[in-house]
Amino acid sequence: MNGCRPFCRRWGGNMRRSFLIAASRFHRAKGQNFAVVVLILLAACMLQLWLMLAMDYKQNFDRCHEALHGEDVLLVVDDDTAELSEYLTQKLESDGRTREYSIADALHMRGGFDYNGGEMNAEMVFLEKEAALARSIGRVEMIEDSGKESGVYLPLIYQSDDIAIGKTITITIGSHPMTYSVLGFFNSTMAGSNNCAIMEILLTKDHYQELETLGYAPKATLFGIRLSDQGESESVEAMLKNAVSAQYPDTHMASTSYALVTVSRYISQMICSGILSAMAFFILVIALVVIVSNIINDIQEHMDELGILKAVGYTSRQLIASLFMQYGGIAFLVCLVGVSIAYGLFPLLNTMMEAQTGIPYNMRFLPLPTLLTLLILVGSVVLVVWLSAHRINHVDPIVALRQGISTHNFKRNRIPLDQSHAPLSLALALKTTLSGMKYNVTIAITMLALSLVVVFSGVMWKSMISDMTPFLNMIVGETADSCINVNESIESKFYDAMSEDDRVEKIYLYHSIEVRHEDEIGLLATLSDDFTKVNNANVMIEGRFPRYDNEIAIAAKYANETGLHIGSEMTITANGNQITYIITGLTQTTNNLGKDCLMSRAGYERLGELTNMSYYLDLREDIDIDAFNTEIKDRYPNQINTTINIDSVIAGSASIYVSLMTVLVIAILILSAVIITFVLYLLVRTMLNHQKRDYGIMKALGYTTGQLILQNALTFMPALIISAIIGAIGGSVIINPLIALFLSSIGIVKCSFIVPLDFISVATVVLILFAFTMACLLSLKIRKIAPRTMLTQE
Amino acid sequence: MKKVLMKTDRLSKSFSSGGTMQHVLKNIDLELYQGDFTVIMGASGAGKSTLLYALSGMDTPTLGTLMFCDQEISAMNQDELAVFRRSHCGFVFQQIYLIDSMSVLDNIMAAGLLTTKNKKALSAKARELLAAVGISPATQKKFPTQLSGGEAQRVGIVRALINQPDVLFADEPTGALNSQTSLDVLNLLTQFHDQGQSVVMVTHDLRSALRGNRILYLKDGIILGECDLGRYTTEDQKRHERLSAFLSQMGW
Repeated sequence: MNGCRPFCRRWGGNMRRSFLIAASRFHRAKGQNFAVVVLILLAACMLQLWLMLAMDYKQNFDRCHEALHGEDVLLVVDDDTAELSEYLTQKLESDGRTREYSIADALHMRGGFDYNGGEMNAEMVFLEKEAALARSIGRVEMIEDSGKESGVYLPLIYQSDDIAIGKTITITIGSHPMTYSVLGFFNSTMAGSNNCAIMEILLTKDHYQELETLGYAPKATLFGIRLSDQGESESVEAMLKNAVSAQYPDTHMASTSYALVTVSRYISQMICSGILSAMAFFILVIALVVIVSNIINDIQEHMDELGILKAVGYTSRQLIASLFMQYGGIAFLVCLVGVSIAYGLFPLLNTMMEAQTGIPYNMRFLPLPTLLTLLILVGSVVLVVWLSAHRINHVDPIVALRQGISTHNFKRNRIPLDQSHAPLSLALALKTTLSGMKYNVTIAITMLALSLVVVFSGVMWKSMISDMTPFLNMIVGETADSCINVNESIESKFYDAMSEDDRVEKIYLYHSIEVRHEDEIGLLATLSDDFTKVNNANVMIEGRFPRYDNEIAIAAKYANETGLHIGSEMTITANGNQITYIITGLTQTTNNLGKDCLMSRAGYERLGELTNMSYYLDLREDIDIDAFNTEIKDRYPNQINTTINIDSVIAGSASIYVSLMTVLVIAILILSAVIITFVLYLLVRTMLNHQKRDYGIMKALGYTTGQLILQNALTFMPALIISAIIGAIGGSVIINPLIALFLSSIGIVKCSFIVPLDFISVATVVLILFAFTMACLLSLKIRKIAPRTMLTQE
Repeated sequence: MKKVLMKTDRLSKSFSSGGTMQHVLKNIDLELYQGDFTVIMGASGAGKSTLLYALSGMDTPTLGTLMFCDQEISAMNQDELAVFRRSHCGFVFQQIYLIDSMSVLDNIMAAGLLTTKNKKALSAKARELLAAVGISPATQKKFPTQLSGGEAQRVGIVRALINQPDVLFADEPTGALNSQTSLDVLNLLTQFHDQGQSVVMVTHDLRSALRGNRILYLKDGIILGECDLGRYTTEDQKRHERLSAFLSQMGW
């Protein structure tokens, strides 16, 4: 114990002395430290937001799922017979993966309602409210309940100005509109959104019985299954669907799995998380580069001071420790503030996210993301301080004292003024540029990162905000104006009529149906009589669409997972039949998380007949799609199963992504402006300190403040312009592969977003001009450099 | 009759220091003539350099006016003063103040290019002047940190003269140089003065002051007296005595 005291005293003394140096340095370079503070603050904030989103947001789903005892597989079969229940019960009980299951009565039909300026369309499962609340598996949580006796309860995600308690809602069930009073909203993890493949709607007993009696939605049985291992959800879902298809080939069913829901309800979280992580690391890298540049500058500019400190007995370790204290201390304290700001901002982010996830998120203190943010930030700062400060070890006090600031070694005069053709200010600026590589590296790294942000913003603006088509082509796949599902009995009459109707520009079969690969894995097969008619041929990323009845095209993601490629054969099962097809092409789709294939109609009909079929129609621009759909339904009573206004459905769900992306793009552009401003602020401050004497001399010689401001701002321009151009070109090349990489988990292997070169060029020029303007404004401090002050200082 | 180049009327300069005002120059009325080698002498803190910087437009007076020919310098803003300095003044400093990141030639070009765009002519003139002060073509390519003190000050003189200034202001030009180098620099200043260059020099060095034809003695911010030594010649043996007598009269 006693032996420790001298050590502690010595160590404490060392710390105190290092602290004094750190405090003096901090005071001396307030401006530079301020810029470092802002950059670290932004990095900490972004990092914390990202980590909270990445580490807890999706986990919130699991907590919610557990709290509601949610299903891992949800299956609704349009059959309410005891025979079906017994059959599936047997299957479930004999399967070791089943932990528990529940069976409930339900009504099932595809339906839709107006939402968010468009139309929401989904496989709807109608449950009697009290029965739903009493379910042992897949409980629903009432978030708002008016307590009234007759009406409908909707998933929380649809609560909006138009859909609110006390208002009425018209739900089109199949082709029958039903109007209900909205009584409340509930949360359901597995069936609480149209993104879940199945959407639950609770009706009060009277309305449930009414709907049952009307027969607009067939009676069905709802199976909720919890598994020992959630990772098996897709395969158990496939097993159950296969079992039903085998035993009840003509029975309609719909299903969803934990794997599908966790991805589809969190697409916005994934996109946002990706953007935040990229921004956080960009800013962190910029902050680190700035710190390195600061330290190197500080050592060079105050070499004489280091010499004095070493001469009076300070050790290199103490001097380096002072840098650790300065930057480590800033990083730690600022990080705490940044984390606090992130906690303050998270509710805003959460509001945007909840619009897509529909799962309420209760914010709380998250120790792990907070700790990680602190560790990443403080750790990386300490690391770069150590890497850049070790040169203090090599400072010899005598040499340092003698050299002072003049540590440069000018061997080459790269821009001789007598030979240069550049204007004077530019020539002088270029001289400084070429002698200040630190500044150039800092500027280059910052601008490369920001150019990529500009490119990303441009791509998002072009492919999502101003025109959603490229985004929809990639995420949704095929789009048209209207989708009409008709019974087989009127197909040819319907087709002929539509072909002759002058309001219809194009009609083609585009029907989705489930098949199985190797009799095991469920694939969503899209059939067409002629794939040359589809609007989005970009879905085919390699090879060609199937033309003949022995051909198939499959999703590239699925092909990668199963080792299949163009030319391979694959066996498809449906309706108890098994046929082998040749793969002609690879497609990209997010449908069914990439478990998707395309077949010609003739190809599918080798497996079985279609009893109903969906046609996609492109209508003339001036045609009211809803009115057209209604007219067609009325023309073929009881023969039209569903009509969908695709434009409206897309508008309804896509607007969430558009608003999210708009907010993100604006936020990252503002952030970019802030970053470049602070980096420039720091560089200009450093440059002015460095050039103060020279500018004083030049003022004495007759240079005006304006000339020197221009010269100072121009100093940064070569690195800025070159890196902005390289960043814009490089960003344009890598942006699509980068987005594809971020979205690979939902089945995207190739992204073909339009890279708007006009936007990027203009934005890059604006960024450069903005940076130049900021550099000029920040250089206004040159006004305060008076030649006389400089001359009398020495 | 000598032509008046600069004229001050009740020129004053005060500085605020620690809450109190220090009046460094007090109501100075002075005329500087074309072709003169004016030397400003005085003890430390007398206000010599302050007067030099006020006269050269490097600093603005607190009160009073300063006229250059018909221009009122004291009414100019900073940018106008910068243009005035580049067009009419040349500076030679004690600390020389060459720009370390520029070669010898570039230091001169950087000053010269402020008044002309003819780089070729300017470059030729710079080389000619450099050669005249004994800076070889090889040295012209060097950087200031590679020069000796004498070489650097000679480059400083060339930089001051490159724009053919009406007045060359020199603030203790030999203060940081050794004896022989000082002599070389003084010879250069004398040589240019002989060619018609007006010079205003601040010094407290007797040997330097001997080069002037007009000596002003400053004490506590006022011009206490002045002495006309006549044009400098090496043969004038009594010059030193006359200056010493004047200075002793002034309480030097």
